Order: sequence, then C-alpha cells, then structure tokens
Amino acid sequence: MNGAQHILDAFHRHGISTVFGYPGGCIMPLYDALVDDVGTEHVLCRHEQGCALAADGYARASGQLGVCIATSGPGATNLITGVANAHRDSIPMLVITGQVPSGLIGTDAFQETDVLGMTLGIVKHSYLVDSADQLPAIMDEAIDLAQSGRPGPVWIDIPKDVLLASAPVRSCEPQTASATSTNTDISDAMAMLRSARKPLLYSGGGVSLAHAEDNFRAFAEASTLPGVVTLKGIGNSGKHSAHHLGMLGMHGSRAANRAVDECDLLLVIGARLDDRATGKLDTFAPNARTIHIDADAAEINKLRSVDLALQGDLNGILKAMTAELEAAHLAISDWQTQCRTWNTTGGFSAADNEEPLAPITGPAFVRQLSRIAPDDTVIACDVGQHQMWVAQHYQFDHPRHHLSSGGLGTMGFGLPAAIGAQFADRRSTVINVAGDGSFMMNAQELATVRRYNLPLKMIILDNQCLGMVRQQQELFYNNRESQIDLSDNPDFVAMARAFDIPALHIERTDQIRRGIETILAYDGPMLLHVAIAREENVWPIVKPGASNREMIDETKRTAKQNREQVA
Amino acid sequence: MNAENQPSTPSYTITCRMSQEAAALERLCQVVRIRGFKIARMAVESAGEHLDIALTLEGTRPIAMLQAQLLKLHTVAEVVLDQGALARSLRA
Repeated sequence: MNGAQHILDAFHRHGISTVFGYPGGCIMPLYDALVDDVGTEHVLCRHEQGCALAADGYARASGQLGVCIATSGPGATNLITGVANAHRDSIPMLVITGQVPSGLIGTDAFQETDVLGMTLGIVKHSYLVDSADQLPAIMDEAIDLAQSGRPGPVWIDIPKDVLLASAPVRSCEPQTASATSTNTDISDAMAMLRSARKPLLYSGGGVSLAHAEDNFRAFAEASTLPGVVTLKGIGNSGKHSAHHLGMLGMHGSRAANRAVDECDLLLVIGARLDDRATGKLDTFAPNARTIHIDADAAEINKLRSVDLALQGDLNGILKAMTAELEAAHLAISDWQTQCRTWNTTGGFSAADNEEPLAPITGPAFVRQLSRIAPDDTVIACDVGQHQMWVAQHYQFDHPRHHLSSGGLGTMGFGLPAAIGAQFADRRSTVINVAGDGSFMMNAQELATVRRYNLPLKMIILDNQCLGMVRQQQELFYNNRESQIDLSDNPDFVAMARAFDIPALHIERTDQIRRGIETILAYDGPMLLHVAIAREENVWPIVKPGASNREMIDETKRTAKQNREQVA
Repeated sequence: MNAENQPSTPSYTITCRMSQEAAALERLCQVVRIRGFKIARMAVESAGEHLDIALTLEGTRPIAMLQAQLLKLHTVAEVVLDQGALARSLRA
C-alpha cells in the first residue's frame, strides 16, 4: 500500500464513508487511489471553501466526523475559512491536504504554502507527515482527536512523495475516545440548585457536541428550570418546553435577557459565555451564583468566575443530576410563573402580517416556514439578519436541525453546509435559508447541488443590501450607509435556472404559503427567491459591547431616538 | 504618566514539556501570543522525544487561563508555574 491507500484504509476502518474535496497537483496520488476505491463517496464541490463548509454541515447534522480534502497552496488556503468556522464552533473535522514533495518544502516551490504555520490558530491539532510509515498511526490519532473531548478540526498535511511511498500494512486498532477528567461534585451542585429561589438554565452548543441531547432534555424536564439558550443551543429544549424562554443575548428575547438579569443562580451547560450572548460582562447576571458544566477545562473561569465547576462528560453529569431531581423536585413555582409572564409579554412575538398584498417581512416568512416545514427539517442558515430571524422565530425541536455559523459568523456557510447535511441524510428535508449577500459568497455550489441532484431547498431572503451591516450603520453610525448596497444583485431565479435548478419568485404576503409548499413538494432541488423590504431590522438589538439590559426595541423607539440613546 | 509611575506588568515563569514535532515551538508561542502574553525569555532543551521549555512571560491576564490553554495542546504534556517566581512578581 502507498500512503494514499493508507488514507483510504483508515477511512474504511473508522467508518468514514463520505468526504468532500477538490483535486489538484500534490493531492493527485490520493485521487488516483480513489479511482479503485470501494466504500468512500467523494463529493466534488466547486471551491475548497465549499468542501470545508460542506464537511462542517455534514458533521453538524450527523454528529459524525466531517472530512475535507484539497491540494497544496491555494487548495489549502481556500479551506482555511471553513476550517476556522469548524474550530470556532468545535465541529469534529478531518482536513487532508497534499503538500509539495518533501525535498521541495522551503524552496518556494509551485503551489507551496506553509500550511502548518498558517493554520496553527484554527486547528485542534495538525501534522506534517514525514514518511508513509507514520500515516496509519497519524490517521488513527487524528480521527480520534477530532472527535474526543471538545471536538475540533485536525489537519494532516502530506507531501506528495509521502502519498506515493509504500508503507507496510499494519494492524491498527481503532482508538477509543480518550477519557476526560470528571470532577462531578453533584451534591454541591444540587445543594446550590435547591437553595436558589430563581435558578436559570443556560445551555449552548456543547450539549449536542457531547451527544447529550437526550440527557439534557431529561434533565430540563425533571428540573422544570426556566431556560435560555445560545445561538448554538437552539433546539436543546425542544419546541414544546413550557419553561423555555428562547435565545439570550444581542438579538435575544426580552424575556430571556430579563430572566438572566434577575436570576440568582445560573446553571451554564455546554456554553462558553460568548460576548454575543452575555453583552457587557460586568452587568451580566449580576445577582447570580454560577455553576458551569463543560467538557473543556479551559472554558471554566475563562470569562466569568464560577462558584462551582463540573468538568467532564455532560452525559454522566446530567444523568446524575436528573436522578437527584426525580427523587426530589425543585420548589420554584413563583419563579416559573414570573418567567412565563415575561415570556408572554417579552418573547419573540412579531405579529404575522395578514394583509395579503403587503410586502413580505423576514419574521413573518420564517414563522410560516416553521409552521409548514416538517418537524425534522434541517435549516442551514447563512449569516446576517435572516440568520437572526430564523434563530428568533423558527421553532426547532432538536439542536441538530439548526445549522448556524456561531463563533466565526461565516457568510456563505449556508449552502455548502446544507449540501453536507443532505449527504448526511439523503431522505431528510434540508433547507438553506440565506440572505442575498451570503448566498453570493458560495453560489458556485449550485453546481454541486445539481450534479448530485440533491433535493435540498434554497430560500433567499433578498433585501438587496447587507442588511445587518445596514442596520448597525442606521442605529450606531448615524445612518451613514457605507458599501452595503446590493441592488445590482443578479436575477437569482435566472441564475438558478442556469444551473438547471427550478426557481420561484415571491414578494407578497399572500404568496408565502404557496411558495413554501411548492418548493417542499418538488422532487428535487428548488430555489425560492423572496423579496423583502430593504429597511427591515432585527429586533430587539443590544449595541455591541453594551449591557443586555440596554435592549433596543422597534416598538418603543424610532431609529432617531435609538441613535440618541446610544450616542 | 511617566515610566516610573506606570504599574509594572506582572511577570511569570513557567516550564513546559511537549513532544518533539513539526512546528512545536510555533504552536506554543502562538497560544502565548493570542492569549495576551509576551515572551520575555525563552530557553529550550531537547530531551529525547520531548522538548523542555522555560518561559518568562509578561501579561496582565490571569496566568491560569494561559496554563489551561497550553494544556489543551495535544502535544503538551505538562505546564508548571513557578510559584516562587509568581510570589516575587506579586510582591514587586
């Protein structure tokens, strides 16, 4: 076996059946080996960034390892945004790149870049392989490392001569995930929980990363704690939880931010207290003691000193706490009633616009989509206003149904991520909800959708501008619009049709239901172009760096008043 | 404010043991930099398959945060803070 064949052998041994890649000079030995391979489906995207983001979407939707492959130089550099995206959101990913032959490294050879050096800050670990003999062990270690503890991308850079060199076949046992230390001082946590009068559950993406969705749901139900979620925690509590207050933070609900402000105990599970969620840290949950449960020891006390930390596997910790709660329930009925009242008056309550001929609003469209689409629909968002409208108004029943670029905020994430999600389950309903700016960043992947005849649906909420930037310029930069105009967008319907993908345009409220039902009923890929008002904003909003108490809401202030408040 | 009145930046000494690998030192230094510390002094010794690295660092952020981040590196086996040096730094 040569080095390239050893890579495919590792895929087989570890059950990796789908990879996303793009060939080129130094990775050609691996593509040559793929010709004779049985068992690995290689998905050819149209840009390496599309490969990395598709692998990311595959991993998010399936809970399994995402794999992407590219050549040296520009192939590797084009992967970087997608790998950084996975790193920021702790997505398990294996990245394989070809490198110039060993003897040419450091000579400024054609398509040579220092991949290892360039990517140190965006990987969990990385390797430059010296010899083919090392490859089987490195593959095993990398695959294990990417998925164990706090997951993340692991990058293997392989010189072309190593891919071509022969190496003996050796028996490799798949490694089990390395154990993380667990300091589960459950009794202390339970004592704090029981002594609190206003305890609040604050959960994030760490729940699904730990495959702890079921144990979290059981804990939330047993505790009956009012709960808030981060962007990546959306879906943790399901769509029917009586105690769920929605997303907190910059575009969170008033109810969620109010509950955080008032609570006397914050139970943080699988979240890292990101600035978009906490706002100004000094004023975040000012009256609360904090219990932090996380797989990553480095997240404990990173941004907020906690009173108790439980570090380790969320499943074991949540099971133990659930057992305690089932034996003796919490007595917090007054606090629950208070939170329910806040949720009634300060939840995401944008009214549906019932006027048939009225222009479509983003929130109204998303609420209709949420009602019509099947419960197990996977929504892959891009980044911007539409992303927040989905986070606020779509009712998700599971965190793996909501794919959103949280940490990096990568415009162009949605379409390739949706492609990855569709490969994770060919039968599921997958919808990319995009803005017009984001969609154009990876629009070339329409060709991938067509090539594989993926049944995914694409919805573009088109306000002919970079809406989130425009909104912040309006509110925080004296309405001085700068470089946000996209009124010269292409005809998206014609563009989709150029890729042999049918498309539909709607612009009035009475067309929403028919538009959504049409694309969902179509047996194949379809694009829905939705014209929405340019001036529409995402409400509420907290000015970046401000306290979450200082939420600005359109129902109470005009834009001019908002400017005066924040000036 | 003149230089004499400026509070001195806290200084720490840590020793770190990590595997010999491509870009080992770059990996370590990258974490030190991005987490808010400057390297004032650095000494490296090769010990078989390991590197032993002694670092004198300056920074205003909690050193425990940097320790935790360094320990997350796959090839870092140990990070030890010189408590004597820490105490001297805090008294200064």
